[in-house]
Amino acid sequence: MTRTVEQPGPRQPLRTETSAAVATYVFAVCRGGDPAAVAGLPGQAPGTPVRLLRFGSLEAVVQDVPAAEFDAENLRERLADRAELERCARAHHSVIAAMAGSAPTLPLPLATLYLGDERARVALRADERRFLAVLKRITGRVEWGVKVYARPEAKQEPDRSAEAAGAPGSGAPGSGAAGSGARSGRAYLERVRGARQDRERRQQAGLAAAEAVDRALRGIAVASRRLRTHETTLTGERGVQLLNAAYLVAEGDEHDVAAAVREVRRSPACRSVEVEVTGPWVPYSFVDGSFVDGGEPDARG
Amino acid sequence: MPVGEHVGEVVPWEGPESGAPIGVPLVDLLDRVLATGVVVSGDLVLAIAEVPLVRLSLNALLSSVNERVAAPWGDGGPL
Repeated sequence: MTRTVEQPGPRQPLRTETSAAVATYVFAVCRGGDPAAVAGLPGQAPGTPVRLLRFGSLEAVVQDVPAAEFDAENLRERLADRAELERCARAHHSVIAAMAGSAPTLPLPLATLYLGDERARVALRADERRFLAVLKRITGRVEWGVKVYARPEAKQEPDRSAEAAGAPGSGAPGSGAAGSGARSGRAYLERVRGARQDRERRQQAGLAAAEAVDRALRGIAVASRRLRTHETTLTGERGVQLLNAAYLVAEGDEHDVAAAVREVRRSPACRSVEVEVTGPWVPYSFVDGSFVDGGEPDARG
Repeated sequence: MPVGEHVGEVVPWEGPESGAPIGVPLVDLLDRVLATGVVVSGDLVLAIAEVPLVRLSLNALLSSVNERVAAPWGDGGPL
């Protein structure tokens, strides 16, 4: 992704420019939001209210947070902890999701902070025009996440046990079992070759299936975006992830999403893959400009 | 916002009405809250949206699943 973020400098603590112990955490930008939608939520600092901060014709969804806990150093440390990362991410998301239920809402990435309301207002105001344009694009639309996994093969390990059992004899020259050794050696090579071809076939089929799924979803989406695929360590027994994509779809069109997914799941091309759908999401993936309207997918590194 | 159930096969999650969208898969959530969203210029956007921290966070996530999940397709690798 190419985005430049102006920063005062690396690791500059929040308090260098002010002695205030409170920073303004911004969750999202919205238009005509209902303060009641988020008032009761814990946000990032339970005890202080999540509220709306007006700037220009829009509002920011904000909360006062203790500056000391949210300086770069501390954040880095906290977010490296899995439980804390999850807590922060869910808190962030639940405020955004709640507000999106009452008004068109642009999510900001986790942990966007300002040295007080006034600075937030000035900075956000400078982007008002851009926010308005994006709001226009996402209003009345939601995001659906679609992931495709290669179905893990049913235990077809090329017979490691047999190979291991045969190894001591076949490896030793002049052991008297030369004939059977050669035979099992050839068989072994064939098995290896077969397994490789099999794997290549599966990979081809998997990629073709992922393309088919993507095509089907793009057919009903107003925009699409490829997200980074998850590593196998994250996908676990689900198998290799072939596609992780997001689609911007008109609100209320979930039946179309369901139908497209059902249909593509049934297609012969998708026999070897699992298709997983999540949503509807607030259109997180369609507010920062790095996506493509309509057809072409946007690969991301 | 409607809840996933309408669609039948989607991963269900509790809508914002519940105040706790517990069912949202964490990896999918991190894809979004860490790597997307409208980026604003300002004094304290921090380095949060940038690679090092995201990687750090994903490492934290990975280290928690690593031990119990064996990688299938060990020799095939990710496509």
